[in-house]
Formats: sequence, structure tokens, C-alpha cells
Amino acid sequence: MKNLVLLLIISGCFYLASCKKDSQSENFKFLTGPTWASDSLLANGVDASGPDGILKNFKGDAKFNKDYTGTFGVYTGTWRFAFDETELVISTDSLPIPVTTKIVELNSISLKVTTIYPNPQGVPTNIRMTFKAK
Amino acid sequence: MRYTFIVLAIFLNFISNIAFAQGVIEGKVFDNNTHELLRGVYVIYKNQGTITDQNGSFLLKSDTGKVNIIFRFIGYKPVTKTANVGSGDTIKLDIGLDMDILEIGQIVISANKTEQRVAELTVSMDVLKSKDFLNTHITDAQELITKTPGIEVMDGQASIRGGSGFSYGVGSRVLALLDGLPVISSDAGNIKWEFLPLENISQIEIIKGASSVLYGSSALNGVINFRTADATNIPVTRFFAETGIYGKPADKNWIWTQTPLIFSDLSYSHLQKVGKTDVGIGINLSNNDGYRKYNNEKLARVSVRLKHHNFVVKGLSYGVNINSGYTAKRDFILWNNAATGALIQDTSTVSLLHGSFLDIDPYIAFDNNGPLKHDLRIRFQLADNRFPVRKDKNSDAFSLYAEYQLNYRLSDIFTVISGISESYNKILSHFYGDHQEINIAGFAQLEASLIPGLKMVAGVRLEQNTLDGEHDKIVPVFRTGINWQAAEYTFIRGSFGQGYRYPSIAEKFASTTLGSIKIFPNPYVKPESGWNSEIGIKQGVLMGKTKGQADLSFFFSQSKDMIEFLFGSYPDQITGNYDFGFQAANIEQSRVYGYELEFLLSRSLAGFNTTLSGGYTYIYPVQYNQVTHKNTDTYLKYRRKHSLKISLGSSYKKFDAGLDLFVKSKILNIDDVFLNELTRESILPGFYDYWLHDNKAYMVLDGNVGYQVSRLLNLSLAVKNITNTEYMGRPGDIQPQRNYSLRLSGAF
Repeated sequence: MKNLVLLLIISGCFYLASCKKDSQSENFKFLTGPTWASDSLLANGVDASGPDGILKNFKGDAKFNKDYTGTFGVYTGTWRFAFDETELVISTDSLPIPVTTKIVELNSISLKVTTIYPNPQGVPTNIRMTFKAK
Repeated sequence: MRYTFIVLAIFLNFISNIAFAQGVIEGKVFDNNTHELLRGVYVIYKNQGTITDQNGSFLLKSDTGKVNIIFRFIGYKPVTKTANVGSGDTIKLDIGLDMDILEIGQIVISANKTEQRVAELTVSMDVLKSKDFLNTHITDAQELITKTPGIEVMDGQASIRGGSGFSYGVGSRVLALLDGLPVISSDAGNIKWEFLPLENISQIEIIKGASSVLYGSSALNGVINFRTADATNIPVTRFFAETGIYGKPADKNWIWTQTPLIFSDLSYSHLQKVGKTDVGIGINLSNNDGYRKYNNEKLARVSVRLKHHNFVVKGLSYGVNINSGYTAKRDFILWNNAATGALIQDTSTVSLLHGSFLDIDPYIAFDNNGPLKHDLRIRFQLADNRFPVRKDKNSDAFSLYAEYQLNYRLSDIFTVISGISESYNKILSHFYGDHQEINIAGFAQLEASLIPGLKMVAGVRLEQNTLDGEHDKIVPVFRTGINWQAAEYTFIRGSFGQGYRYPSIAEKFASTTLGSIKIFPNPYVKPESGWNSEIGIKQGVLMGKTKGQADLSFFFSQSKDMIEFLFGSYPDQITGNYDFGFQAANIEQSRVYGYELEFLLSRSLAGFNTTLSGGYTYIYPVQYNQVTHKNTDTYLKYRRKHSLKISLGSSYKKFDAGLDLFVKSKILNIDDVFLNELTRESILPGFYDYWLHDNKAYMVLDGNVGYQVSRLLNLSLAVKNITNTEYMGRPGDIQPQRNYSLRLSGAF
């Protein structure tokens, strides 16, 4: 038992000594690296970035900061990965609820996400947004 | 012949002097401070003794020679005196006793898994005695804990000093223990308050701060250890029968029935030694109509304790504790509407639950006052939930927990407390799916007392969790602390402790619909972790006949990846369709700054025994950015900055009475879903306006009076929420209006 105690203390110290800050994932580096410019903003397959489009406020640049804040078109808010980094969630005070999107493609030059905006009273809206690194 | 007779007479006289040589010790015992003569002081000589009479006098016979006499009296320091007694002597021994402060000398076990005086701990701890809740007619552990300074239990979820919020009843950051073993449910990871056997509790020890080194996951914010009572040499039987009625709510629009709403409770406990075996039994039956429509409960609990002291091996004891319970209840989830239906549950969330619980705890311990102590404890726990209407929500959970602990006193300076534990949980459920979880841990803690009055402690724990065959990484956590007795009644302490919590099965896998609310699973939710530190001072108070203690502490805690259920639009992982609902996520980075002052003063004067106690807690709970490490301007959810409790109790001859005052400030922040224009009306109709106008500070006053009807029986009346204050816990959870209860209790 005495040995167990010593083993615990020593292994604990070694473990602590070997600990380093969580390294950032590749997806994190890709997303927070460049400033992203909106490429296509589609709602039900149709461009929705025009003056009357439901995605007009996402038009322009998107920047995902390393402190999980960001600007997304005209919106300012926070972002986070979800579901083992297969989803990207954007929250801003200007949106009624956070937007959860599926990450279709994320690399150093391209970001593609999709989501469906539910409509309890009617047909949901399929959304696809693509961005290119500037 | 004549000489023979004389010699024989002398010899017999000598023998009788040797064999029966006795002296007499007599005297008086008085209070050293007031010089008042003390009645009822135990005067102990060898294994016998006497007690002082109404004049403080005593008289006892003793052997000749050097004699040690011990004087003991509750509330005073014990004194040992030595007298030289000659044959036939009468020794005069007048003794003055000094008052003692019992509160700082209370023995507790939870802080370091070994018996210690509460004043010598390195962490903050509150100790609740059974009399604290018997007098006030508290029959529910949840109500008892939420009425403790610095703690709030919000719809079943405990938060100590703002360390936790409310997450819809799943996952607890406070670990509940029953006799040192965890009683967190395997599936939802919550505390089954209704099954804690209050009918046979000796004391409840509450550690205010992260305690994961000794207790592992869930002890992120603290520990509440319910310790059941041991049998004493004198058999003790206690019982009470209570019935009560809810009054009308303050808002007349909320009256939903003219039928009296009754609650009643029957409680019985018996403790007795039978030979070398300690036996204890407790039974509790209760029925509560509830003060809200579609929210009621019938409950039965039975507990048995058997502890056997081995005849042959000194210090070896073993036994088994059994706790069981059954409930049939409807929990309150969402109100119907704020205007007229705040005390009526929305029918879409009404669900009858039949739940049962059984745990069987065999154990074996060895402690012969030598350097080694061994303790092996095992808990088999079975729990099931049956929903007659919503059978898809049924679940069964089985868990096996085993812990071996070794205390090794290396020297007068160093002691090591170490142990290993294993838990196995199996959950069968449509609601969560079927899952198996294994947790293995080892811990070691070194205590040092390098100089008199100075105690230091440092500990480490390694723990690994495996869920459905997938191993989490090994988690190391540390703690350290110091306590310095600066003066006879002054103790200064400081501590640092880390904590963590693995997500519960419910947080990862719950997938259901509750009324209009949909819950989405998130198997990728990660463990939470954090740490807390504090400095504090405990000061004993002894001023004439007034004695007690005061405790002041300053604390800070920081946690990351705290799990919350967030409202949003989420994809169904099978169909790919999106819908609105809740999903657990590691979202909150939290900091809590604060201080707490607690006090207890008691005084006996002119036949009145009066106690004044209470506490004030201030917290500043705020989110911080995990990258910049700067505080944001966002308050943590479901926290209040200020909370105050003051209790006054007094007894005089056959009468006793008490008042408890609770004051709490408004809730600082809640989930956006209750405020968001898009969602608020569909979830809690009318809540938004109610929040704007009625989320404010409140004051609640409880009172009780009792009368000793006979030597065995006591009759008491309690009125809770005397002022009929309307106040709220989590959103939509209006707390009970004024209610009255009458209790007949006895102890013999």
C-alpha cells in the first residue's frame, strides 16, 4: 500500500509536469487563420444575398477570432465548434437563436456550411453558405 | 491462646485495612467565570461515578492512594484532578470548570475522510444536526439544504456559493454522500433527495468547495455527506406524526382549488445495541397533495443499519446498511400561464412517475487505535423509473461502488490517507439508450502537523472514466491546505482544490420531447473542470454565559467547459432534419468571487436557552473569456448576489420557539430561451412579463413553537412562509405559499 501511495504521488507529479496547454485542432487553425469572404449564400438553392434575401446580413467578410469572438457579415458575436467539430455555431444578439451549421468543408482556403432553418408553420429553409479565404 | 487471639485480631484488622481501605472525596463544582454552582456534572472515578446535586455537591468513595477523578459537563471543558487519599480520609475537592465552545470542537469526518475537529479543517464546512431540522418541521433533505447559508437548491440542483446554476435537473456539481458513499443517480447524475433517510441522521456535513481529490467526479462544487446515527448504550426510539395544510397563494388569481391541500408525514427510528451488534431502523411515510395542480407525491422509505464489533479481534467491525424507498409522484415542469395558472402544471408536461430505490452497503473496517486503519465499503444500488403513460421514458439503473481506504499514521507528525475506488454503472433506458460506465480512481493525501497548532494537507487523485468501452483520458487533480491555530479559539485556514465532473448519461444521450420542448443528444459533450481557493478565519466566542463561533471566509472559484442546455435549431443526427430544442454543450467559463460570514451564539439566562445563528453570503458570478482570461460583463445564470439567513431559537422549561428569516436578492441571469421573443411564450406563457416585474429580492419568515406535553411527548406547530411571500426558484417554479403543520413527536 505504501508503494501504491508513492506511485500515485509520483505518477501524479509526472502527469502534471507533462501537461501542457490544450493544443488547438487543425479545424481551429483553419477557421481562425484567414479572413473569410462570402462566396455564395443560398436559400433553397437560390441566391439570398441580395437586398431582400434572408442571408443579406452574412454578405461580406467573416472573421473567426481565436478568443471565440468574431464578425460574420454585419453581425458581431461569438462562435464555437460543436459535435466533435462537425458543427459550427454562431451566436449574436441580432439573431433570435444561435445558428447551428454543419461543416461541409473546412480547409485553409474554403469554408462551406449548411443548415436548415425550421419553420413550424410551413416549409423549412435549406441554407448553404460558402466562403473563400482572403 | 490469649496472644494468639490478639495476633489474629491485629492480622484481621490489617487485612481489612488492606482489602477494604477506602476514603471519601467530596466537594462542589462551580462555573469558574460566574462561580455559579453546577448541577448534573458527571464525577467519574474508574468505571463508576456520581453526578452533582442541585447544590453542585458530590460525594464518592474511592480506593486509597493516588486517585484520578474526571469532571465532565456538557458545554464545559473536562477536568481531571488527582488526589492522595488515605484510609478513612475525607478529601475536600472543590472544582471550577471553564466553559467550552462546542461548535468549534465538533468532530467531522468528510473533509479528510478521517475524524477531525471542525475548527482544524483547511476548508469551509457547515455541520447540520438533526435538531436543526426536527424543530422546524423540515422533512425533505432538499428543503433542509436550501435553507443553509450560502447554498441554493434550484429544483433539485444544489449550488454552493454560486458554483453551479440550473441545468434542467440533470448533472450535479455537488456530490451527495450517504455515510461517505455517493448517492448520485447513474442516469441523470442528480441527487435523489427524497430517498435520503432524514429519520435517522446524526449530522450532515457540507464541504463548501471543490473536493474531487477525495471524492472524485461531481464533487466539483462541494460535498454534502449525510451521516446516519450509530446506536448508543442506551436504546433510543424517536417518532413523529405530522400533518399540515397549504394556505391560499398571495395572488388570488392563482387559487386553483377550494379543496384543502394536505401534507402528512410519519417517521420512526430506533437505535439499540444488541450484544456486540449495533442495530438501527428507520421508517418514513409521507403524502403530499402539493400546492400546485398535477404536482404531488407519495413516498415511503425504510432503512436498516447493522454493525457488529468482533469479539476476538479488537477494532474489527463489519456490517451492512440498507436504504430503500418508493415514490409515486408528478414533478412540476412548466406552468400553464402566469396570469391564472402559475400553480397549474401545463398538461403537456404532466407525467406520473413510479420510482424505486434500493442500496445495500456492506462494509468491514479495522481500527485498533494503532497506526493503521483499514476500511472497505461497497454499495450496490438499484433504481428504476416507471412512467405508466410515457413508457418510453422508463429506465433502470444498477451501480456497484467499492472503495478501500487505508489510513497510515507514519509518525506523530505525518499521516497518509489513501485509497482506491471503482464504480460500475449500467443503464437500460429508451430515454437515454443502454449504457455501461466504469470509473477507476486512486487517491493519496498527506497530512502533516510539523509544529503544534499547524496542520497542512496535500493530496492527489488520478481517475479514469470509461463509457461504453471508450476511455476518457486519465484526470489528475490536486488539493492543498493549511490550518493554523493562532490562539486558543482562533483558527486561520487557507486552501486550494481542484474539481471535475464527467457528463451524466442524460447530458450526453437524453433524446425526448417534454411538452413543447425537444431535447437533442450530444455524445461529444466533455467533462467540466475547475478549482477553488479560499482563506478563512474561525473565531470561538466566549463572553460570560454567551458562547459560540463566527466564521469569515473569502473565496474564489473558476471553472471551464461548464455544461449547459442551450436552445437552438439542431439537426437530428439520423434524419438530418433540423428542429428547435435544447442540447447540452460545454459553453460556460465561470468565475465566482465572494465572501461569507457565518455565526452561532448561544446563551443560557434565567432558564432561557437561546441560540442565534445565521450567515450572509455575497458572490460576484461572472463569465470569462477562456483565451484572453478577462471577465466578460455577463453574469452567470441562476445566481443571486446576496443571501442572508438568521435563526433565533429559545427554550424555557417546557416551551420552545424559533424564527428563521431568509433574504435573497434577485436572480441575475437566466437562459435566453425564457426571454427570447421567438420562444418565450411557447415555453412559459406570461413568464417574460412576470420576470420583468417580479424577479426581485424576497424575504421569507418561518416560525415554530413547541410544548413538552409529557416526559416523552412534544407537540409543536410550524408556520412556513409566514409572510406569504411569492417567490420563485428556476423560471416557472413558484415556491410554496404559507403553510401550517402540527407535529406530535416523542423520544424515549
